[in-house]
Amino acid sequence: MSAVGNIGAGRSAASERVRAAFSFLLPLFVLLVVWEATVRIFDVHPGIFPGVGPVLRAGAESVANGTLFLHIAASFGRVLTGTTLAILVGVPLGILMGVSPGVSTVLTPLFRFFSVLAGIAWIPIATLWFGYGFGAITFVIFNAVFFVVAYNTLLGVSGIPHALRNAAWSLGADRKTMLFEVLLPGALPNIVTGIRTGLGFAWRGLIAAEMIATNMGLGYMLFLARDFYRTELIVFGMVVIGILWLLIDRLILAPLERRTIERWGLVR
Amino acid sequence: MKSLSIRNLSKTYFDPYAGKHVTAVQDVSIEVPEGEFVSIVGPSGCGKTTILNMVAGFLPVSGGEIVVDGRAVSGPGPDRGVVFQSHALFPWKTVLENVAFGPKMRGVGPKEREAIARDYLALAGLSHAADRYPNELSGGMQQRVGVVRALANEPAVLLMDEPFASVDAQTRMTLQEELTRIWQERRPTIIFITHDVPEAVFLANRVVVLSKGRVLEEVEIDLPRPRSWETLIEDERFKTLSSRVLQLVRSA
Ligand SMILES: Nc1ncnc2c1ncn2[C@@H]1O[C@H](COP(=O)(O)OP(=O)(O)O)[C@@H](O)[C@H]1O
Ligand SMILES: [Mg+2]
Repeated sequence: MSAVGNIGAGRSAASERVRAAFSFLLPLFVLLVVWEATVRIFDVHPGIFPGVGPVLRAGAESVANGTLFLHIAASFGRVLTGTTLAILVGVPLGILMGVSPGVSTVLTPLFRFFSVLAGIAWIPIATLWFGYGFGAITFVIFNAVFFVVAYNTLLGVSGIPHALRNAAWSLGADRKTMLFEVLLPGALPNIVTGIRTGLGFAWRGLIAAEMIATNMGLGYMLFLARDFYRTELIVFGMVVIGILWLLIDRLILAPLERRTIERWGLVR
Repeated sequence: MKSLSIRNLSKTYFDPYAGKHVTAVQDVSIEVPEGEFVSIVGPSGCGKTTILNMVAGFLPVSGGEIVVDGRAVSGPGPDRGVVFQSHALFPWKTVLENVAFGPKMRGVGPKEREAIARDYLALAGLSHAADRYPNELSGGMQQRVGVVRALANEPAVLLMDEPFASVDAQTRMTLQEELTRIWQERRPTIIFITHDVPEAVFLANRVVVLSKGRVLEEVEIDLPRPRSWETLIEDERFKTLSSRVLQLVRSA
């Protein structure tokens, strides 16, 4: 009886997912059709905006000669490094702010200020400090993720009900246990949200920084194509940047966020 | 399980809105001998939670002292187990992990603390829920786990602040009966705070009536045990004691 119910439930969940994917993809498909129709009806010059065909051909070419993957790999490497560093520094600092009102009072205004500037505004000074290349771009990414992660960690820690901390103390917890078994897990849903938001900023910052400060990566790919008047390659690059982010966000970050929140029933 | 002395306890809060100090607890002394069940009852705002939080060590005292097992205490510690109104279970730990948390902090090994936790869960009829997460339980079960978690750490005294106030009336009666049964089996020293007069009388050996931060009177509850609502609800002695405590509370 219950087995039958479960199979039914599984099926409806799967079809629900198909429907969700469909309703997400349909508008994008419509956009594609409108794009191609517009280019044809108004006979748009390919140097101004190419049709779907040339863009796909440019894409196939960059896949075939391997340059696309070199650019993607370079971009991913920087995002991974910058984000990892930002999490390693941002989470402990956020927790420190969360448990120490003094530290939080001093740092919160600074965080508000720097959150506004996070990312792109740092590109010029980053190139002065780190030169053109890996260091400057990684710094920009670090910067975009760090403030958001630290601030969200702070929110997460201060959102842990006080009774939970009191319960841990009165059960004999020491500081280390408090950190690893109460504060970190309690703040985790917020930390994941911070990482997701921060990566969104970082991805935009990455493209901008790569246009200015390097000779490899997706942003540079756009920039280079412009120098050669390869509009179709520019458009292809833009599509790749958009799709890659959607994939990262929808397939990794969003499920991770949902899982941590749902698993622990931490509805805030 | 050991005794608890509350001696001349006072608490003054600073009220930032009124811009002055307010006295929430004044010169309160309560003796709880080993193995006794004491209820503290009084209207909302009379200082019950403040007293309990000071005994638990969550709140610094303004005056007086708290002695557990012969030692003056300050700050929270595993000698005083706390059961919260808001269950305060760790949402990211299973029921078993929650109950094993105290023994783990005492340095009990994994196998042994799981055995302890399972033993206490069985005591409250919760064995089947061991691997569930708190948010998968009903309110009544969450409160049971909260009680069991505190007990499993074998504290000298158990402090309970209106632990059954947020469950439905039916479940509350069951929880009260279970608590008296567990108390009889293990004889923990308990301070139980409530604003519910029948609850205080039903559970305790002695009821302390609080009024405006002071002890108004103590009433001995000489009802026989085991106690169940089925028999006590019609019991003349229970009625007399309840109405006596109720009059005190209403005069408070
Ligand atoms: N943090 C606080 N700051 C100022 N006043 C407080 C604070 N906590 C409690 N009080 C006051 O102390 C009195 C006793 O409160 P409490 O101990 O919570 O009462 P009860 O638990 O009996 O309802 C109340 O008048 C309340 O307003
Ligand atoms: Mg209270």
